[in-house]
Amino acid sequence: MSLSDSPILAETGAMTRFAGRFLREGLRPRYELPEFLRQCYVIGYQSLPLVGITGFIMGLVLTLQSHPTMAQFGAESWIPTMVSLTIIREMGPIITALIFAGKIGSSIGAELGSMRVTEQIDAMEVSGTNPFKYLVVTRVLATTLMLPLLTILADALALYASYLGINTKGVTTLALFTNNVLSGLTFGDVLPAVLKTFFFGFAIGLIGCYKGYHANKGTEGVGQAANTAVVVSSLVIFLLDLLAVQITGLLGLI
Amino acid sequence: MLPDSRTQPDADAAPGSGPAAEAVVRLEHVAKSFGNNHVLRDFSLLVQPGQNVVVLGKSGSGKSVLVKCIIGLLRPDAGRITVLGHDVASLPHDALDQLRARLGFLFQSNALYDSMTVRENLLFPLRRQWMAHGRSEEETLVQQALDDVGLGDTADKMPAELSGGMRKRIALARTLILRPEIILYDEPTTGLDPVTGREIDHLIRDVQQKYNTAALIISHDMDCVRLTADRVALLAEGRCYAEGTYEQLQQHPDPRVNEFFI
Amino acid sequence: MPADSTRNNVRLGLFVMAGLGCVLFVLFLLGRQQNLFSHSMMVRADFRTVAGLLTGNNVRLGGITVGTVKKISILNDTTVRVEMNLNSDVRAFVRKNAVAAIGTDGLVGNTIINLNARPGPAAPVQPGDILQTATPPGLDAMLGTLEKSNKNLVGITKGLREITDKINGSEALWKLLSNEELAANVSQSARGAALTSARLATAAQDVQQLTHDAKQLARGIQQGRGPLGYLLTDQDFAGQVDHAARQLAGTSDTLAATLTDLQRQVQSGAGPLNTLLADTAAARQVRLSLRNVQQSTASLRQSMEALQHNFLLRGYFRRQEKKKRKAQQKQAERQEERQQAQAAQQETPTPPKPPAD
Repeated sequence: MSLSDSPILAETGAMTRFAGRFLREGLRPRYELPEFLRQCYVIGYQSLPLVGITGFIMGLVLTLQSHPTMAQFGAESWIPTMVSLTIIREMGPIITALIFAGKIGSSIGAELGSMRVTEQIDAMEVSGTNPFKYLVVTRVLATTLMLPLLTILADALALYASYLGINTKGVTTLALFTNNVLSGLTFGDVLPAVLKTFFFGFAIGLIGCYKGYHANKGTEGVGQAANTAVVVSSLVIFLLDLLAVQITGLLGLI
Repeated sequence: MLPDSRTQPDADAAPGSGPAAEAVVRLEHVAKSFGNNHVLRDFSLLVQPGQNVVVLGKSGSGKSVLVKCIIGLLRPDAGRITVLGHDVASLPHDALDQLRARLGFLFQSNALYDSMTVRENLLFPLRRQWMAHGRSEEETLVQQALDDVGLGDTADKMPAELSGGMRKRIALARTLILRPEIILYDEPTTGLDPVTGREIDHLIRDVQQKYNTAALIISHDMDCVRLTADRVALLAEGRCYAEGTYEQLQQHPDPRVNEFFI
Repeated sequence: MPADSTRNNVRLGLFVMAGLGCVLFVLFLLGRQQNLFSHSMMVRADFRTVAGLLTGNNVRLGGITVGTVKKISILNDTTVRVEMNLNSDVRAFVRKNAVAAIGTDGLVGNTIINLNARPGPAAPVQPGDILQTATPPGLDAMLGTLEKSNKNLVGITKGLREITDKINGSEALWKLLSNEELAANVSQSARGAALTSARLATAAQDVQQLTHDAKQLARGIQQGRGPLGYLLTDQDFAGQVDHAARQLAGTSDTLAATLTDLQRQVQSGAGPLNTLLADTAAARQVRLSLRNVQQSTASLRQSMEALQHNFLLRGYFRRQEKKKRKAQQKQAERQEERQQAQAAQQETPTPPKPPAD
């Protein structure tokens, strides 16, 4: 490899090309449906306990933390609205994506990295399978589609935990809580929040796959792939979040 | 059991392939470099049907690059590689996949899918190539391939539970299950103890005799060369430095050849 | 493996359905809340200012959300047109003469549109109608009014304080209130009046008797009975008697008038004196109004304090406080002077005593 001026730019360019390859290969048959479903199961369903617990605790803690301050202003009735907005707009997507990056991004990076290092990817190619389709496309698609679902379920659990949290300090009925939550919500809150999680999921899957797929030889390469996958995808999640807030602001949805 | 209609021991006949291809693998002036590292400069070699050719060379002499070029994992910078009558570099993707189905590749590191059981490892190429129809046929083929390598009872184990020699055998079984016409062995005995290595060498011979396949074996292990080779090619300085039978090379006057036989 | 993968697929399916179900449920609820799924009717209203109203804000009738703001557009430099979607099931309750006003949902809540019904018959609104509008005072105007009434209150309390100071300092009044002689005089004159009237009554009786006798005598005389009769029928004598009697009557009339006047003054409480002497109701009222003033200043202070703690207005009040501190310093100086003056005054007047009856 010749020297390039900026390793970050070179990496970005390579990753963009990787994403382009994903789109090209993903659209062309043949489609690896059974493997895609298996990845959805592994990536989505098996992350549910972790993401669910995180979401539940997030909702509970947010409620209990904001309670004293809100009570000081006599605005306890605003807690459901405030907590739900916080969770649905920002905390749910971000926390879920970060947890997801930690769990899935690293596992994809390590798995593909070790497959690369032990020539399993070559073996796949030799046995007549396009490893990019079989390994990368299925995983990236699975993360793209599963993260929004996980985020929604985490949001739901967080709101339920918030309801429980409010009930530890006072009494609220589920109906009132729901009405309070809905009164503060608009499509402009829900849709961008859901939409951006698709991009988060895509970024996590893509970066994990890229790092694993291009892992260096040796066991060190595997660890490095897993590690950088998590670091880079966490960073990219925040960058995308910044971008998302700018775009929703431009569209007047804030 | 073995489809003897496919190949004949006669070296000059090449049934089933194009009229020009008397050799199953034909390498002409192949060059490949990585940056300033010229691994292959001008390498030419012929592999006849049913023949085991060993490419001998020091570590880092570009042997692995050579087989990867043959299987299409790497693209040579110059020269021509013809496998079973097809120019590998110019083949479209689908045709390359079809050609690869007729080749077997035994990786140095075995490359067993460690997330799958032995059975799934063997079924993977079978299913990807649409070779089998129905579960019973699949099961028969898997069992037969495992029996061929003498590990009939390991189907439900994970690769991590097996020893190095067993993994090599399973990898060979996975290669054999598609009934390849040519098998490429990348350092088949490296990392194994001498006894196990010799077992693998005998297995390579057995496979050749049983299925009448041609083989290109990359190795620097002289035991392996002696036991498996019909012909030996010495790769040095990026070209075919010397060629002949084991005995011919053993008597070769050039010290660069001789140093392997000490 | 196939059985396992089927089970996994079932779990995956459940997972996906749960997620999609959640998001669809929320979207449906939100849609219902914003009347996407019910029939709606568009009405319009033109405002001078919409005070930060946004598309999607609620429209309320009698405090119940009946629709949402659909579109806000500027017609010209002083007119903002708001289009709102109303649920068609409330259409019957929104009349053509309803007034739309911009309001807020709580002190810091969303801006909303309130539809207020007005008395008088009118037909239900039609789609596309333009409603009348009213602009309630904004927070700034409210604060301005509060400031003004605050100033007024300060003026009132100052005035009251001056009055009480004057009352306290007025020697004449206290003298009047504490003078026992005056009361004794009044009661004496009253007693005298009563005596006079009693005597007058006796005199009147005597006169009556006299006139009765005279009448009899006169009848005899008229009939010409003896020399006395002649005497009595003399015209001059009769005139004299008549004159005396008339004078007597006039005196008694004046006396009676004086008496009733005095009585009225003492009893009915019309005069200023009596107010001070006898009217407890008036005194209570004064006390009550003083207490009211006190209470309202206290509650004003409370609300001012609450406003001060409100984070929105904190900056405003911080400035106010600075001003007030300066004013207080000046006032303290002035008060000191006044206290010195009072101390000098208090040596002379007698402390108030309950008046003797």
